[in-house]
Amino acid sequence: MVSDPGRDNARKSANQPWLAIIGLVALVSAYACIGSVTMAQETSAMPAPAVPSVSLKVDSGDTAWVLTSSALVLAMLMPGLALFYGGLVRTKNVLATIMQSVMILSVVSVLWILAGYSLAFGPDKGGLIGGLEWVGLSGVGSEPHPVYGPTIPHQAFMLFQLMFAAIAPALITGAFAERKRFISVVLFAAIWSLVVYVPLAHWIWGGGWLAKLGALDFAGGAVIHISSGASALVCAIVLGQRRGYGIDYMAPHNLPMTLLGTGFLWFGWFGFNGGSALGANGIAVSAILATHAAAATGAIAWCGVEWAHRGKPTVLGVASGAVSGLATVTPAAGYISPLFAIAIGVVAGMACYAAIVWKGRFGYDDSLDVVGIHGVGGVIGILATGLFASKVVNPGGADGLLFGNPGLFGVQVLVVAVTTIFSMIGTFIILKLVDSMTGLRVSSEEEATGLDLSQHNERAYS
Amino acid sequence: MVRRLRFVTMILPILTSFAMTLGAAGVWAQETAAPPVPAAQEIITAPAPPQAPPKIDTGDTAWLLISTALVLAMTAPGLALFYGGMVRSKNALGTIMQSFIILCLISLQWVLWGYSLAFGPDKGHLIGGLEWLGLNGVGLEPNADYGATVPHQAFMIFQMMFAVITPALITGAFAERMKFSSFLVFTLLWATLIYDPLAHWVWAVGGWVRNFGALDFAGGTVVHISSGASALACAIVLRPRLGYGKEHMAPHNLPMTVLGASLLWFGWFGFNAGSAVASGALATSAFVVTNTATASAALSWMVLEWMYRGKPTVLGAASGAVAGLVAITPASGFVGPMPSIVIGLGAGVFCYLAVLWKSKCGYDDALDVVGIHGIGGIWGALATGLFASKVINPAGADGLFLGNPAQLGIQALAVLVSVVFAFVGTFVILKLVDGVMGLRVREDEERMGLDLSQHEERAYS
Repeated sequence: MVSDPGRDNARKSANQPWLAIIGLVALVSAYACIGSVTMAQETSAMPAPAVPSVSLKVDSGDTAWVLTSSALVLAMLMPGLALFYGGLVRTKNVLATIMQSVMILSVVSVLWILAGYSLAFGPDKGGLIGGLEWVGLSGVGSEPHPVYGPTIPHQAFMLFQLMFAAIAPALITGAFAERKRFISVVLFAAIWSLVVYVPLAHWIWGGGWLAKLGALDFAGGAVIHISSGASALVCAIVLGQRRGYGIDYMAPHNLPMTLLGTGFLWFGWFGFNGGSALGANGIAVSAILATHAAAATGAIAWCGVEWAHRGKPTVLGVASGAVSGLATVTPAAGYISPLFAIAIGVVAGMACYAAIVWKGRFGYDDSLDVVGIHGVGGVIGILATGLFASKVVNPGGADGLLFGNPGLFGVQVLVVAVTTIFSMIGTFIILKLVDSMTGLRVSSEEEATGLDLSQHNERAYS
Repeated sequence: MVRRLRFVTMILPILTSFAMTLGAAGVWAQETAAPPVPAAQEIITAPAPPQAPPKIDTGDTAWLLISTALVLAMTAPGLALFYGGMVRSKNALGTIMQSFIILCLISLQWVLWGYSLAFGPDKGHLIGGLEWLGLNGVGLEPNADYGATVPHQAFMIFQMMFAVITPALITGAFAERMKFSSFLVFTLLWATLIYDPLAHWVWAVGGWVRNFGALDFAGGTVVHISSGASALACAIVLRPRLGYGKEHMAPHNLPMTVLGASLLWFGWFGFNAGSAVASGALATSAFVVTNTATASAALSWMVLEWMYRGKPTVLGAASGAVAGLVAITPASGFVGPMPSIVIGLGAGVFCYLAVLWKSKCGYDDALDVVGIHGIGGIWGALATGLFASKVINPAGADGLFLGNPAQLGIQALAVLVSVVFAFVGTFVILKLVDGVMGLRVREDEERMGLDLSQHEERAYS
């Protein structure tokens, strides 16, 4: 055996996260025991002051819908995104790609409950970040919150948002597929979630400064899609291309798996957008209608452009087109009428196709096209919201440019700029930090072997 | 020829019992066609009870129906693919078929007699009566004991999915070697003789385990400990697969297993949060702790494996997630988010160790039902006795950490009862079926694989 410095490094640095995790475990256990006792005391005293908020009443139908939507969004990530990406990579990397989604879901779930939710949605501090009042879900209980869904338990809103927080970093994994070390993926996602996602979510959804300016983002066009797309671009540039990129044949190893993943994404997106109404109401219906219309149109538009441009309509193209329609309509879903959703789908399918065709000229290796689909789609969606939003559809929103309110369009442009710049800078710094802790890429020998064997010691198929 | 005759003799009594209950259903149809008028009169002329008549809530009903569909997705495709990916490719279809057919078989069993035995009017705290045979009297009016705001049939069908998944879990213990016909007979007997009484004891009004105060929100004892203990009996009685410990028996398709685990995670929200039998604070809390414990367990299994074996595996992450789901099941309606992190971390550790130590015990629990469902279920039932809190669920009880050590003792007793009853009962049923028709496929059939030998199909061509 030739000694492998990369592997030795891996072993050394891999020790650190264990210690950190074990420490965390001890902390949480202590906290849980104390917390459950103090919580019991607190809440036994609660009933008296809780009475005044009479208007807040849990509605069984609204709660049922938000819980269902939370389950649907989980299905977008796992198995949806895991299989969508898993089918697109080569056989030797399929498990590692799936593993990234699964582990990001697990890590972010715990982080969100411990601190993420409080920082994103806790009491506003200067428009920039939420306070630490809700750390460990202290004070986030079964009583509804007046802003975050007055008819559902506060925890239901927290849970629904948890799924969003989990899917955003998982989307980025497509940019560095087939070459990033597992430990650095986990560390990157954990830090990114707290440092990039949480502030953005606060600015736009948690009563932060962009929300105060009147920015509209129904279900995460900026918070999720632009942020993951912009971060993906930085990841692709910093990590560099895969070995043999542009030379070797890197076709998807299992397109039916990708299509199954697409099916789950489309299915789960009804919860993503429809659930963002936080109730089983007219806005949820209109959001689902817009979502479906845009997904269908996106698929058709992509298919048409590809047929014209390349001579054949591909199955991968239809799947990508549907996802680009879904990503693009996300910020607008609850504010627009169905015909505008169709317009958004058409533009999304064509623009995202163009972005992916042009990717080749820039030389960066965004392996599974996160930038082209989520970045470009998110930008178009946020701008389209500034054009097509209408108070007739959603009285809680605002009118867009087409309805005589150019101000909203200006705010949406600002949202695009702020989200893109903030995500790119944040991601760059995090990548450099993680690089210094554990290194980012696997050794070239490990890359040639494939991540399944080198990172997880497993084979997908036997 | 002889085997075929035997098969017919086994199937005949089942068919006749179906036919008989179908006949009963005909009678029932006539019965129910008549009642409406007197029933309406009863409601009008009986203002005496102070309670408002049970009223169906649309939100609660929507949630319970969705949860039912979610739990169905746990068995087929969830469990079917989870197990299907872990076996060798020559047994993929045989494994998937077992889950699929259990779904069909127990769906009928439950409607015909299972629901009545489990939840029917109590007889001596041991078993439900035969009054609800063929769903006689189980209609669309809510039953105050089993979901006062949902149609009684909604509760029944939600419970049906639980009755379906439990025997399906056991199939992992005898994977790759059990005869399909014996498996069918075993499943039917097991559901009737083990699951239905146990569900009655723990969940039905009047059941003796429920009466002494055992807490089991969504099936830690009834579903997981019972299937885990039965799996141990199966693994022991059926003995190891040919070549166990010598040949390479790697999972043939791990992405399929992860797909199955994902659908289990997805469906488990219905399993646990649906067990609130209403949509509101309790369902939300159960949903939150389910997700939290699952994530924690996947992490702790991964870290442990990373330390012990040097690499974190995808199969480990999936197994850890399922272990967390299992462990939080009995506790999900009684604990808050912070204790659920501890329950999840514990599940990952205990179940990983159990799977690791399995090889030293020599039994071939092929897909680790004992290690994950048995051990995870026991840990969850005991952890409920530690962390349960009346703040989360006033209808529950406080656990040890909230000053009620007695609850831990009660939980331990419930564990003991389920383990002994399920293990002994399964052992007897297996011996019985073995005596009548044999349990294992022939050696050459096992080598050929169950797909070809039992079903004459290939999974991949």
